[in-house]
Amino acid sequence: MLTYTLLAGLLFGLYFTLIGLGLNLVFGVMRIVNLAHGDFLMLGAFLAFWLFSLFAINPIPTIPIAFLVFLLLGFPLYYLLVPRLLRAKDPEMLSFILFFGLSQVIQALATILWGTSERSIPGGQLGRAIAAILSFVTGRTIENGPIEILGQSFPAAWVASGIASGIGVLLVYWYLYRTKLGYLTRAVMVSRDEAVASGIDVDRISAIAFGFGLGLAAVAGVFAPFLLGSITPAMGAEVTITSFAVIVIGSLGNPLGTLLGGLVYGISYMFMQSYYSSWANLLPYLLLIAVLLLRPNGLLGRQARRA
Amino acid sequence: MFGKVRLSLFAALLASIFGTAYAADAPKEIKLGTLYASSGRFASISMPVHYGLKLWIEQKNAEGGVFVKAFNKKIPITLVAYDDQSNTATAATLFNQLITQDKVDLLVSDSGSVLTSVGVPIARDNKMFLFDQTGTGAAFFTPDNPYIALMSDPVSSVWPKPLADFITHDGNGLGIKRVAMLYSTNDFTGTQANAVRKFIKESGTDVEFVYDQGIPTDTTNYAVLINNIRATNPDAVIHLGYAPNDIAFIHSLEDGGVNFKFLFCIYPGLETELLEKNLGVKPLNYIFTYVTSSEIEYEPNFGMKLKEYKELWNKKYAGGNVEFGFNSVAGYNTGLVIEKALSVAESLEQLEIRKAVFSLSGKLKTLDGTFELDPNGAQLGMSTPIGQINVDDHDHVKFVTVWPHEVANGKPVYPRP
Repeated sequence: MLTYTLLAGLLFGLYFTLIGLGLNLVFGVMRIVNLAHGDFLMLGAFLAFWLFSLFAINPIPTIPIAFLVFLLLGFPLYYLLVPRLLRAKDPEMLSFILFFGLSQVIQALATILWGTSERSIPGGQLGRAIAAILSFVTGRTIENGPIEILGQSFPAAWVASGIASGIGVLLVYWYLYRTKLGYLTRAVMVSRDEAVASGIDVDRISAIAFGFGLGLAAVAGVFAPFLLGSITPAMGAEVTITSFAVIVIGSLGNPLGTLLGGLVYGISYMFMQSYYSSWANLLPYLLLIAVLLLRPNGLLGRQARRA
Repeated sequence: MFGKVRLSLFAALLASIFGTAYAADAPKEIKLGTLYASSGRFASISMPVHYGLKLWIEQKNAEGGVFVKAFNKKIPITLVAYDDQSNTATAATLFNQLITQDKVDLLVSDSGSVLTSVGVPIARDNKMFLFDQTGTGAAFFTPDNPYIALMSDPVSSVWPKPLADFITHDGNGLGIKRVAMLYSTNDFTGTQANAVRKFIKESGTDVEFVYDQGIPTDTTNYAVLINNIRATNPDAVIHLGYAPNDIAFIHSLEDGGVNFKFLFCIYPGLETELLEKNLGVKPLNYIFTYVTSSEIEYEPNFGMKLKEYKELWNKKYAGGNVEFGFNSVAGYNTGLVIEKALSVAESLEQLEIRKAVFSLSGKLKTLDGTFELDPNGAQLGMSTPIGQINVDDHDHVKFVTVWPHEVANGKPVYPRP
C-alpha cells in the first residue's frame, strides 16, 4: 500500500507539474498570473473529447494537435491582452482581474456551447494507443490495460501523463537553456527593461512563452478526462487554484520548482487520501501556508529570482 | 314570503360583494422562486431538475395558469430563477433574495442536499415553506421545522434500506461477508453511508465492514483509494457519491483494470444517460444501483405517465446538453405536487400550503411514485428498488430489479463477470 501510494503520488504529482509548467513559464517571463490557465486546460480537454467523439481520434495523437493549436492561439491572445496590461502601473495585480475576467468568458462560452454536464473519454482509450505504440516499439504484442511499475499496476493514462510531463519539463529546459530563443527568454525573465534596452524583441519572446504556456495547459487537458475523472466547462477554476498552489510551493518563475512543487503536492495528496481521506482536499492550501511561512519564495525560491 | 325574498336578496348582495372582492384579491401571477446550478459540481443534477420544473410551468401557463383553489381560478406562474453556480454561499444569498426582495409565493430549492442545506434554515427563519426537490439529507427534517417537505427520493436515512437488506439477505446468501464502503462526506451521501452502516449492523448477520472511508465531495482521483479498497479483499464495494464521483470512480476502475465482485453506485440508476455518455455502456455492466422512476413505469393518479413525459422532454429539449434521467422526472414531479397542493390549499399562507402538501401524503401518485411524507416532511414514498445493470448484445442498458423480492424481475449476477 505504501509503495503504491508513493508511486501514485509521483505520477499524480507529475501531472500537476505538467499543469503548472505553463502557468509558471508565463509568470516567469511576464510576471503576470494567468488565472484562465485552468480554462485553457479545459479547452484542451474538450478538444480531445470532441476529436474522439466526432472523429474517433485517440487522445495520444491529439497531444501534438492540442499543443500546436494552443501555441498558435497564444500569439494573438498575447498581443490582444498582455502588452496593454504590462503598460499598467501594477500589471501583476491587474493580471489577476484581467485573466479572471477571461476565465469567466471562456467558461460561459464553453457552457453555452457544450452544456453543463460532465463529459469524458471512455477508459482504456489511452491504454489502447499506448499498447499499440509499445507493441510497435518492442515488436511484441502488448495487451491494453494497466501498466506495471515496481510490481504495482497503474492506469496507462497515469503513466502516459507522467511521460508527457517529463517531456514537458525537458522541453521547457531545452527551450530555455539550449535555444537562442530560450537565452533571450531568460534575459526577459531576469529584467524586462534591460532586455528591451538590449534590443530584444520582448513582445515576440513573451508571445512565444505565452503560447508555449497555453500549449502545455492544453496538453495537460488531453489527460484530464483520465486523471480527473471527467471534464466540465467549470473545471478550470479549481485546476488553476491547485496548480497555482503547486507553483508557489515550488517557487514562482522556476520550472524546476514546478516539478518539485508538483511532486510534493502529488505525494502528500496521495498519502492524505490513504490515511486522512476526508481532509485530502485541504492539502494544497495547508502546504501553501506552510511553505509561505517557512520559505516565502517557495522551496526553490532563490534560484527563481536568479533565473 | 317577503322576508324570504329579502333574505335572498341580502345573500345575493353579500355574495356579489365578497365574490367581487374574492376575484379582485386574486394575484395576477403566482411567483415561484427557485435556484439552479448552470455550472460547477452539481450542474449535472441541477439542470435536469430545473428543466423538468420549467417544463411543468410552461405547460401550465399554456393552459392559462395553475388552478388555485384559494381564488377559485387559474393563475399564471412566473418563474423567478437564479443561478447559484453550485456554490452554497451564493445559494444562501439567493435564497434570501427570493424571499425578501422578490417576495415569491412559492419557494423551491435547488437540486441535491448540498445546495438545499443552506436554504433550509433560511426558509424556516423567514417562515417560508420550502419545496425541497431532491435534498434528502436527514438533518433537514426536524419536528421544530414545519417549513419543509421533500418532493422526490426517500429521505437518505431510509433510502438505502433496500441496499442494506439486499446485502444482508440475498447478498449474504451469495457469499457477501466483507463490505467496503467509500462515500462523499456531504448531507446526501454521508447520511446514506450512516444509514447503510446502521442497517447492516442491526441486521445481526456476519456481514462486516472491512473498509469505511469518507472523502471530500469534490474528489476526482480514485486510484489510491481503489487500491486501498482492493487490499482489504472485499466481497462487496459500495460507492456513494454524486454523478461526477461515480464517473471518476468507475473510470478509475476501468483504467486500472480493477473488477470488484459486487459494486454498488448511485448514479448509474439515477442518471443513466449521463454515465453512458461518459463511460460507455460496458463499464456499467453488472453494477448494482437504485432503479428509479426514470426506468420504472408507475401508474400515476395525477399527471402524465413516464412514457408521455419522456416524449415531451425529448421534443422540448431535443439536441440539448441536458440528459433525461431521474432528476428530470423529479423536477416535473415537484410541479405536480405544487399543482395539486394549490388546488386544495385554502389560501397562499405558507402554513396553509404546508397543510395542503401534507394532505396529499399517501394519496398522490405521480410518474415518480407514491408521495408519502412523515410528520417532519421527509419523503418515505418514491422508493427505489435495487437493480443490476445488464447490457445486452446491442449495447442497450437494461435494469434487472433484484430487491425487494415482490418487485424483483430477475436474479443478481454475483460475482461480477
